[in-house]
Amino acid sequence: MSQPSAERMIEARGVQKWYPNGFHALRGVDLTVHRGEVVVIMGPSGSGKSTFIRTFNALEDFQQGTISVDGRALSNDLRDIDAIRREVGMVFQQFNLFPHLTVLENLTLAPIQVRKRPKAEVEEQAYALLHRVGIREQADKYPGQLSGGQQQRVAIARSLCMEPRILLFDEPTSSLDPEMVREVLEVMRNLAADGMTMVVVTHEVGFAREVAHRVVLMAEGEVVEEADPATFFTNPSHERSRQFLAQIL
Amino acid sequence: MPSSPPWWRDRRVIPWLVQGVVGLVVLVVIAFLLGNLVRNLSAAGLLLSWRWLGQPAGFDLSESVLPFNAELPYWRALMAGLVNTLRAVAIGLVGSTLLGTLLGMAAFSSNGLLRRLAVVYVEVIRNIPLLLQLVFWYFVVFLSLPNGTDALQFPGVVLAKSGFYAAGFEQGHWHGPALINGVWHAPLRLSVELTALLTGLIAYTSAFIAEVVRGGIASVAKGQWEAAASLGLHWSITLRRVVLPQALRVIIPGLNSQYIGLAKNSSLAVAVGYTDLYSVAETTLNQTGRAVEVILLLLGAYLVIDLLISAVMNGLNRLVQIRER
Amino acid sequence: MSPSLPQRLRRELMATPTDAVVSLVLIVAITAAAVGFLRWALFKAQWVVIQANSTLFAVGRYPIEQQWRLWLLVTLLTAATGLGWGLLRGRRWPLHDRIAAGLLTALALWAPAALSLSLAIQLRWWALTALLLALRWVVGVWGPGWWSGLSPLGRRLLPLGWPLLYLTGMVLISGGLGLTPVSPSEWGGLMLTLLMASFAMLLSFPLGVALALARRSDLPLLRWGSVLYIEFIRGAPLITLLFLGQNILGFLLPGGVAPDRVWRAAWVLTFFCAAYLAEAVRSGLAAVPRGQFEAARALGLTVPQSLARVVLPQALRTALPTMVGQFISLLQDTTLLSLIGLLDLLGTARSVMANPAYLGKNAEVYFTLAVLFWCCCAALGLGSRALERRLDTSRSTTNPSDSAPSPAVA
Repeated sequence: MSQPSAERMIEARGVQKWYPNGFHALRGVDLTVHRGEVVVIMGPSGSGKSTFIRTFNALEDFQQGTISVDGRALSNDLRDIDAIRREVGMVFQQFNLFPHLTVLENLTLAPIQVRKRPKAEVEEQAYALLHRVGIREQADKYPGQLSGGQQQRVAIARSLCMEPRILLFDEPTSSLDPEMVREVLEVMRNLAADGMTMVVVTHEVGFAREVAHRVVLMAEGEVVEEADPATFFTNPSHERSRQFLAQIL
Repeated sequence: MPSSPPWWRDRRVIPWLVQGVVGLVVLVVIAFLLGNLVRNLSAAGLLLSWRWLGQPAGFDLSESVLPFNAELPYWRALMAGLVNTLRAVAIGLVGSTLLGTLLGMAAFSSNGLLRRLAVVYVEVIRNIPLLLQLVFWYFVVFLSLPNGTDALQFPGVVLAKSGFYAAGFEQGHWHGPALINGVWHAPLRLSVELTALLTGLIAYTSAFIAEVVRGGIASVAKGQWEAAASLGLHWSITLRRVVLPQALRVIIPGLNSQYIGLAKNSSLAVAVGYTDLYSVAETTLNQTGRAVEVILLLLGAYLVIDLLISAVMNGLNRLVQIRER
Repeated sequence: MSPSLPQRLRRELMATPTDAVVSLVLIVAITAAAVGFLRWALFKAQWVVIQANSTLFAVGRYPIEQQWRLWLLVTLLTAATGLGWGLLRGRRWPLHDRIAAGLLTALALWAPAALSLSLAIQLRWWALTALLLALRWVVGVWGPGWWSGLSPLGRRLLPLGWPLLYLTGMVLISGGLGLTPVSPSEWGGLMLTLLMASFAMLLSFPLGVALALARRSDLPLLRWGSVLYIEFIRGAPLITLLFLGQNILGFLLPGGVAPDRVWRAAWVLTFFCAAYLAEAVRSGLAAVPRGQFEAARALGLTVPQSLARVVLPQALRTALPTMVGQFISLLQDTTLLSLIGLLDLLGTARSVMANPAYLGKNAEVYFTLAVLFWCCCAALGLGSRALERRLDTSRSTTNPSDSAPSPAVA
C-alpha cells in the first residue's frame, strides 16, 4: 500500500444539504482526502454517503459549507464545474454504460469530445486500459453482451480514459453477483496500488481492511467516526460504530 | 460559498437566461403575427365581433335534431351543427365500443378461423385512410341501395337509399318500418348520410378499440387463465368474469384516446354531406368571412368535447382502480 | 409428432359445437363475398377509368412538357435506393431481399400493362426496375470494399446525399434555377400526396424533438409552453387546423400576403405532426434511465453533448416504431387535403369521377385507391417491425450483419 502525500485533493467543510421536500440529508460534514489516499465511506442506508460523494463532482448540489476539489472551489461557476468533472471520475452502482455504443466507443467518447484529443491516440489508450482491466478482447462488443463484472470493469476503464486525478466509487459492487465482485475489487486494488486517489462508498469490509488508508463511518447525514482500518474494525471509539459493525461483521 | 461567477457562467442564472430568451422570441413572434392579424382584419372590415351571430343564416341544414330553417340566426345553425355532431359521436362511441370489444375478444376465441378473421379485419381497416372508407360507404354502398319496395328488408330493420329505418316505440305503440305511398316510415330513422358516417366511423374505430381490448386482455397474467381453466370454467366465462375486469385497468386509458379520436374524426362528416358542426362552420365562414370567430368557436367546441370525454374516462378509470382494493 | 392437416383443421375450426356452427357460417359468408367480389372485379367493373387517367392519378395536372423533370427525379430516386440498398446488404441476398426483388419485377411487368400505358412508358418502367436491381447487385459486390476504403470525412458526407436529393427533387418539381416554374396548383395525384407527407415528416422531426425536450425540462416556461402547444394541437381535428391554415394564414402576414394553398397546408401538416411526434419522443426519453445522463455529465460532457450523443440516440431508437406509426397516420391524413380543395390522390379521384364520361365509376376508383394506400401503409408497417427487430438484435449479436456499417450511425 503506497503512502499518500500531503497534497489535499478534496477538502469538504461543513457541508449541509436539504432536499426540496425538506429532508436534511447532510448535516455539516467534513472530510479531507490527500493525494494517493484511499478513503472508504461506510454506513447504513440513508446515511447520506452516496449523496456526499456526489457533491464532489456537482451531481448533487449543497446549500451550505465549502468543497474544494483539486484546488478548485465548487461554486456556481460552470467553468469550475466542468474543470472539476474532467479531473474527477465516477463509477456508478448501475454501471451506466452507454448501450448504443461499443465498449471501445464508450471509452473514447468523452476524451474525444471533451478533451478534444485525436481519435487514434485515444483508441490506443483505450485498448491499453481495457487490457489493464483484463477485457481487451471485448472492445468491439456492446455492453449488453457482457456480464455484470465485465461491464463494471469497462465502466472503470471508461473513467480512467479521461485521466482523472480522483476516482469516486458509488457502491460499485452492490449490483453484482457474488462471483463477479472479486474481479472488480481486484481492479480497484490494483488502481490503489498504482497510487490513484480513491473515495469508495462500499459494504465490502475485506476491501476496506486491506486497501483503505482510512475508513469513515457516516450515519444520518453526519460523520460518526474516522480511523484507520485496523483501529476501526477492531476497536472503534463510538457506540454507533460498534452498532454498525455488529450488523455487518 | 465563494464569490459569484460572471452571470454567463453561473449555473443558477443560465436556466432563467434560457427561458428569458425563448420567452422573448416567442412573444415577439406572436406580437408580430397578432399585429398583422388585427391590421389585416380591420382593413377588411372584419374586426372581432360577435354580433353577426344574430343575423339570419340564409342556408338550410340537410338534417337537424334541433328544428332549423334558413331564417334562424347563425348561432342557432351552429348549435344545430353541434347537436348533430354530438348525436353522431354518441352513437359512434357506443357502436364502436361494442364491435371493438367483440373483435378484441374474438382474438382469444378457440375458433382459429374467427381469430384470423379478426386479425385480417384490423389489418385491413388500419391501413386504409378513414376518409376513403367514409366516401366508399356513402358513394359506393349506401347511395346504390335500392329504394321503395326493393329496399333491403330485415326483421325490424330496413336499409334503403333514403336511409336507415328501425322498429321502435312511437306514441306508445311498437311500430316496425312501414312503406306508405312508396316512402318508408319508421319510429327510428337515420338519414343515409348519418348512416354512412356511422358505418365508416364504427368500422374504423372498432378496429383500433379491438387492439386496445386485445392488449388489455393480453396484459392479464397467464396464471389467471390457468387458474380458471383448472376450475373447469369455459373460456368465455373466464374472459367475462375473471380476465376482463382486470384488463379494464389497462383498457380504459387506451379507450380514452380512441374516443377522442372518434370525436375528432366525426368532423369528416362534411365529406358525406352530413351537416355536423364543422360543416356548418365551413358554410358560415364562407358566407360571413368571419374567419377568426368561427375558428375560435370550432376549436373551442371540440376542445370542450375532448375534455368532457377525458373527464368521464378518468372518472371511470378511478372507479376501476377502487374496485381492486 | 406434429398433428396432420385434418387434425389441425378439426382443432382450429370445430373445437366446440358453437365453434363448428360459427365456422360454417363464416366459411359460407366469406365464399359468397369472395365470389361476388371476383365476379364484379373481373366482369362488371370498368377499369378503363383508371387506365385513362393514370397520369392524372400519378402527377395531377403537371404540364406534359415538363414531365421529363419528374422522370429525372424518379430515376435519381431509383438510383439512390439501389445504391443504398446495395451498401446496406453487401453480397448477400436474404429471403426478404429476394421476395422484394421478385415483387418489384412482377409489379414492373404487370402494372404498366394493366394500366394500358404506351409501350414507350412501359419500357421506361422496365428500365427503372432493371436499374434498381442492377445497382443493388453491382454495389452489393463492390460497394463494401469501397466503403471501408473511404476516408472518415467521406463516410460522414455520404449520408448527406439523401437530403441533397430531396432538395434537388423539390427544385425539379417546383422549378427555379433555370427550370420553368410549375405552380403548386398544378401539382397533384400521388406525387402531391408523397410530397406533402414527406415534407411534413421531415420538418416536424426537429420541431417534435425540441418540443419533447422542452416538455421534460425543469424550466417552467419551456415545459408549460410545450404542453400548451401539444395539447392544443392534439385536441383539434385535423380538418379544423387545415381550415384554420387556409383562412387565417393570409391574415397573419403583413399586407395580407399568403403563400400558395399547397404550402399553407404543408405547414399545417408539419405543425400537426410535430405535436404527435413530440409525444412519441417523450415516451422514448422517459425510457432512458436517468443514470445515462448523469454518467455523461460526470465524464465532463456538456448538456448538449450528453443529449445529442447519449440520451437522444437511445430515446429515438425506442420511439422509432411509434414514429413510423405516426408517419403512416400522416400518409393517411393527406387524404384530408381533398376536403380543402387540393388535388391529392383522393382529390384527383373525386375530380376524375366528376367527369361525365366516368360518372358512376366510384367503386373502381375507390377500390384502386384503397389497395394503393393499403399496400403503402402495410409495407411501412412491416418495415417498421423489421427495423424494430434489427435494432433490438444489433445490440446482442457478435457481428453486425453486414460488411459495411449502416450510414445512419453517427
